[in-house]
Amino acid sequence: MPLLSLANVTKAYGGVPALRGVELAVGPGEIHALMGENGAGKSTLIKILAGVVAPDTAEIRLEGTPARIDSPRQAHRLGLRFIHQEFNVVPALSVAENIFLGRAYPRRAGAFVDWRRLNLAARETLGKLGITHIDPSWSLGSLTLGDQMLVRISSAFIGEEGAPARLYVLDEPTAALNRGEAERLFTVLRELRATGASVLYVSHRLDEVMATCDMATVIRDGRSVDTGKIADITHDDLVSLMIGRRVEEAYPPATAAPRSETVLSVTHLAIRGGRPVSFDVRAGEVLGIAGLENAGQRNLLRTLFGDLNCAGGTMRLTGQPFRPRNPTDAWRAGVSYIPRERRSEGLIVSRPIFENVTLPHLSAQSRWRALLTPRREMRLAAEQGQRVRLKAAGPRQRVRELSGGNQQKVVFAKALAGQPRLMLLDEPTRGVDVGAKFDIYALIREMTARGMGVVLASSDLPELIGMADRIAVMREGAITDIVAAEEIDEERLVNLCYGRVTG
Amino acid sequence: MLTLVRRYGTLVGFAAILVTFWVLLPDTFMTARNWLNISQQMSMLIVVASGMTLVMVMGDFDLSVGSMASLAGIVVAILFTLGYPVWLAVSLALLVGLLGGAVNGLLIAYVGILPFVATLATLTIFSGAAFVVSGGKTISGRVIPEEFGSFARGGLPLGEWGGIAVSIPNLTLLAIAIAALVWVLLEQTTFGRRLYAIGGNIEAAHLSGVPVRKLKLAAFALTGGSAALAGIMYASRVASANPTQGSGLMLTAIAAVFLGSTLSEHGEPRLLYTVLGVLILGVLDNGLTQLSVDSYVRQILVGGIIVLAVSASSLTRKLRQ
Repeated sequence: MPLLSLANVTKAYGGVPALRGVELAVGPGEIHALMGENGAGKSTLIKILAGVVAPDTAEIRLEGTPARIDSPRQAHRLGLRFIHQEFNVVPALSVAENIFLGRAYPRRAGAFVDWRRLNLAARETLGKLGITHIDPSWSLGSLTLGDQMLVRISSAFIGEEGAPARLYVLDEPTAALNRGEAERLFTVLRELRATGASVLYVSHRLDEVMATCDMATVIRDGRSVDTGKIADITHDDLVSLMIGRRVEEAYPPATAAPRSETVLSVTHLAIRGGRPVSFDVRAGEVLGIAGLENAGQRNLLRTLFGDLNCAGGTMRLTGQPFRPRNPTDAWRAGVSYIPRERRSEGLIVSRPIFENVTLPHLSAQSRWRALLTPRREMRLAAEQGQRVRLKAAGPRQRVRELSGGNQQKVVFAKALAGQPRLMLLDEPTRGVDVGAKFDIYALIREMTARGMGVVLASSDLPELIGMADRIAVMREGAITDIVAAEEIDEERLVNLCYGRVTG
Repeated sequence: MLTLVRRYGTLVGFAAILVTFWVLLPDTFMTARNWLNISQQMSMLIVVASGMTLVMVMGDFDLSVGSMASLAGIVVAILFTLGYPVWLAVSLALLVGLLGGAVNGLLIAYVGILPFVATLATLTIFSGAAFVVSGGKTISGRVIPEEFGSFARGGLPLGEWGGIAVSIPNLTLLAIAIAALVWVLLEQTTFGRRLYAIGGNIEAAHLSGVPVRKLKLAAFALTGGSAALAGIMYASRVASANPTQGSGLMLTAIAAVFLGSTLSEHGEPRLLYTVLGVLILGVLDNGLTQLSVDSYVRQILVGGIIVLAVSASSLTRKLRQ
């Protein structure tokens, strides 16, 4: 008998159906993947389970018994635990305090918190999940995002009177994690499974799902389209189930080889917190940047973009000396940048699409560099929107109302609107669904076909191998190897990132 | 439905207030004379609130505008006592406003002090300066040139209305000109577009090549300039200057911008709605005064209405989510 079964779940928002009949059955002691593109209805389904959104119709059974979930409190009582990206933790408190937050702390003499026992209990809780590298007395804010998430999970793991945790629901938990942190999370999930608890795991990242989950349910357009054992399904099948068509290739092939002329030439460039780096990017080339989290990729891109000042070394852009003092200089020179954090760095979500697209190019789009010409701007935004296959109501639509993939396309439209010579991309497909991902890859190919140079920093190693011509590996703030993408496989690239072998 | 309440609640409330005053004051309220009078009373506030809109678009605000207005009035009057011609005294007082505002901008954009703290400090400084320069006294009488005082009393003749000559006051015309200028800046220029970008997401604006610091400096300087102009207008209207003259302007200007932003489609400050906000507050004050409502009770009523409008707007927004 399944631990949780859902049938005939429907929900419409203002007449627009979000769910049209979803079925889902999570067995005991299994890690069950819930997959689907952005907008497929995953988050609506999760919100219904959490008691945040009321379904129009739903048959919910827990271990065969019909159940109603009217409120988050009710969901908690039924043993459902939700771990979101924005978890409710207090960074200034210690790990132990956070684990027991909202519960009774052990006391001494009835009044004083018994810190020693609190830390011991916290250590025991962490230990049950095989987490031994976190000291309960550390302040939570000093931990990496991944470790913070592990603390949150172990907090949810603590049994409570009358409401033991039975099902953990993790919504895109690895979106902000690096590879090592994600691996650790998977280990903990397997520990959880071993204790008999179940996990409902929502993720875009196919490789993770293939490696970690037992079962998968795919939903598309508000319906469950298939469910089955992960062992019986291939990567490609999953993708085509999710997007409803077959994807021939995960990465579109390059149509032309990189040209001989150099777009960007960097010599002994000093980057903050690292050692000097030297490399070239040719016209039509994708130079991948690989490395563990915080190996200096971000600082390198920010230095190239003028946001961090370089302390020494030289840069040349199509042969001319290039020394941007700020992003304004970089845009003007034809360098554009796709930042890592789409919502906080890439977009002004409260403003219309066209204002976002034209913002870096506003002077060129204006009369006497000062008077706005909205019609011209709107035309440019529409052109670029078409180019990046943006799905939106029109250039005046506010960015906030778009899905994640379409928001990222607005960022691309903005970067492309000025006809750049060099594009700096920092994790351009993070948190983007499969269909939009493919569009973005196609866009990168189109850019290189026009002779642009592309620097692509990514933690998605297959993406780097699939898209880049050469890959520069960064470690501890320096470029340690530059390898040809076609001569390397994922395993060797991982080893290079960790510095276990040399190129 | 909720969107309607959020956007039009304030307007419907305003209409109700208008009708109430019209009924209670049938002879005096809905007359051209009274409205021209309101427009003159409100002219200083329109100028300050227009300037305030520039910084509030960026999500900042300026607490020092009131004491800057007082300081500018004192500066212009002191320069008169020293025998400066009107045009020079007015220009220098405006310059004081621009520079004082630029100091705010420097502290906020380059030193990195929160607008609340920075402009609270300069509020005190400008106010202190006004007292020091004036010696704490009101400057009035013959030292104020006749042409300076008569500017505020003059106007553009409109014709006769019920046997009385009616004209649009010069101060009203000036306020309309400033509001128009700020409207062009905010809605029609790259400057305004970039201010809105900063207000929406300062980091994304910076990475999109918006020179955030320079623009903040410029916007605060303009706000200071607008405050100085309002102070000069006030001094002209009463043909005198005292060091606390502008003290009521700051809160009302911020309130007007907030009130106006409840009317805009996406809840952001916009110049036309700021002017409407000023108008609402001006009409309230005018009607209540005519009804001989005690001035302290008036304050309570006006404050209550601001709270009502802004909370209705933010509550409906919350409900919609």
